[in-house]
Amino acid sequence: MATGTDTSSLAAFVRERPFGIALAVLVAVLFVDLFRKLGAGGITVADLAGFLKDGTVLGLSLGLAGIGLAMTYSILNFANFAHGDYITIGGVAGWIATFLVSGLGSAELESLALLTASSRTLGVSVATAPVAIVVGLLVAVVLTAAMALLIDRLVFRPMRGQRGISLLIASVGVALAVRYLLVFTLQSGPRGLTAGPATPSWDLAVGSGTVTVTAHELTLAALAVALMLGTHVLLRYTTFGTAMRAMADNEDLAQVSGIPTERVIRTTWLLGAGLTGAAGFLIALERGALTTSFGWQLLLLVFAAVILGGIGSVYGAMVGGLVIGLASRLSLVWLPESFIIVAAFVVMIVILLVRPEGLLGGVTTV
Amino acid sequence: MALLEIRDLDAGYGDLQILDGVDMDVGDEEYVSIVGPNGAGKSTVMKSVFGLTTYMGGTVRFDGQEISRLGPSEIITRGLSYVPQNENVFAGLTVRENLQMGAYTLDGVPESRVEAVFERFPILEERQSQRAGSLSGGQQQMLAMGRALMLDPALLLLDEPSAGLAPDLVDDMFDRIDGINGAGTAVLIVEQNAKEALRRCDRGYVLVQGENRHEDTGRALLNDEQVRADFLGG
Repeated sequence: MATGTDTSSLAAFVRERPFGIALAVLVAVLFVDLFRKLGAGGITVADLAGFLKDGTVLGLSLGLAGIGLAMTYSILNFANFAHGDYITIGGVAGWIATFLVSGLGSAELESLALLTASSRTLGVSVATAPVAIVVGLLVAVVLTAAMALLIDRLVFRPMRGQRGISLLIASVGVALAVRYLLVFTLQSGPRGLTAGPATPSWDLAVGSGTVTVTAHELTLAALAVALMLGTHVLLRYTTFGTAMRAMADNEDLAQVSGIPTERVIRTTWLLGAGLTGAAGFLIALERGALTTSFGWQLLLLVFAAVILGGIGSVYGAMVGGLVIGLASRLSLVWLPESFIIVAAFVVMIVILLVRPEGLLGGVTTV
Repeated sequence: MALLEIRDLDAGYGDLQILDGVDMDVGDEEYVSIVGPNGAGKSTVMKSVFGLTTYMGGTVRFDGQEISRLGPSEIITRGLSYVPQNENVFAGLTVRENLQMGAYTLDGVPESRVEAVFERFPILEERQSQRAGSLSGGQQQMLAMGRALMLDPALLLLDEPSAGLAPDLVDDMFDRIDGINGAGTAVLIVEQNAKEALRRCDRGYVLVQGENRHEDTGRALLNDEQVRADFLGG
């Protein structure tokens, strides 16, 4: 009797959550296969640790870059397709400042301002030019925030109250305008930024091999975590952060409670874009190079992170970023490198089939 | 001079005019209800007072000052608070955070106000760390009123506070409104539960198609043949 009930409730459970069960089975199979590969020497523990490290670094970049997108989505109710180009603005503006601070006197002004100076001659790294890096980071934050405010004033504010789809299309226009203004000034083509191999790095012994961690990876990871914690403290423990969450929750009620909604929107742009600028600068630092479209190319993964986390949830963006980053790098255990983006999106689709509202969607606003 | 004076008010939404020459007064510490059939513009009066509709003419004075062109964030600092009918709590915020948002216009939330609200609605103190969305309908209504009382307003605007409540909670809700009014806060209420609202209030207005139809004490309106026949079901 009891067994019969158990079986039927199990059947009901399977019927209700077919994707969940399939996902659980798939994850279990992959885990078993991972240990088999480790045991058989198909991959080494050091390989795996390397994938985890790369995945964490990428995940933190995506998470940091995604916070601004989630913030503006939750407060303004539209997906900002210009977000990727805000990342680029941060990278470009910040690195011009870093080049100017580190190379003034030793290289032509124009070559520094256009980022064409030889990165090997300048030899910028957190060890050799910490001041230039800090200045660059601050300039990236301030200029990206200022640019976002200006664009809001020119484009998005006149459209306030319109449907999300109109704002989304406007943001595509903003994205193209910003990108080609950058191409017009800087010309396209990649720019080397850092000292490259001369950047300090450490080889950590893992199992029988080593994992190399660079100072720039550590810088990105540490600052991304610090900025995420800062965002958390702001949202949870300050009155202004509570007002942001209130407004994301119910804009009409925020208005009748006396919350100055326009000011919250402005500050949201400032904060979101400031974090995005920092992300752009740090991602360029970690990669050691940038192009005028690197933010745009990253946007798809940032969107994936934000949607996976539950669009509009800042915490979701952080978690989603880590999941996408780790999934894409861990997929190297089974797949060739050219498939890692595919793997990241397959993971996103599978998780969304199981939890359509996203990992943290519906759990917490903002 | 009345606390709130509405004179010849025309208002609506965009191009659509709903109110046509509405006159209404609420005195200090008075309890006034607006009743009338669906679509009469009862809620629109309230939203217009709070600066949430398109102003089309007339005057709204509060405490002697013209407020018809002000927005909600300014009006709330003058001593008016408004509890909307639907979605009137921040569901994702805790009970305490909801109350804090009620006092956002002040620098720093006065703990004495939070305590005063908890005293009036003890259940909110018990639930202060819970998300507002997890409260029952009646508790959410109390929280909505508590949020509106955070600034200790001279006039509280309540839009259908008994809507969606279980019948046994409706009486309790009206008792609590009596309590708020008894403590010196003037109340302007829109109610679908017209009989109960008229029984409790000092004065009432009957609004039909955006215009004043009747005005009298609650008792008198309850006993008025015409009003009974038209809206109160005989």
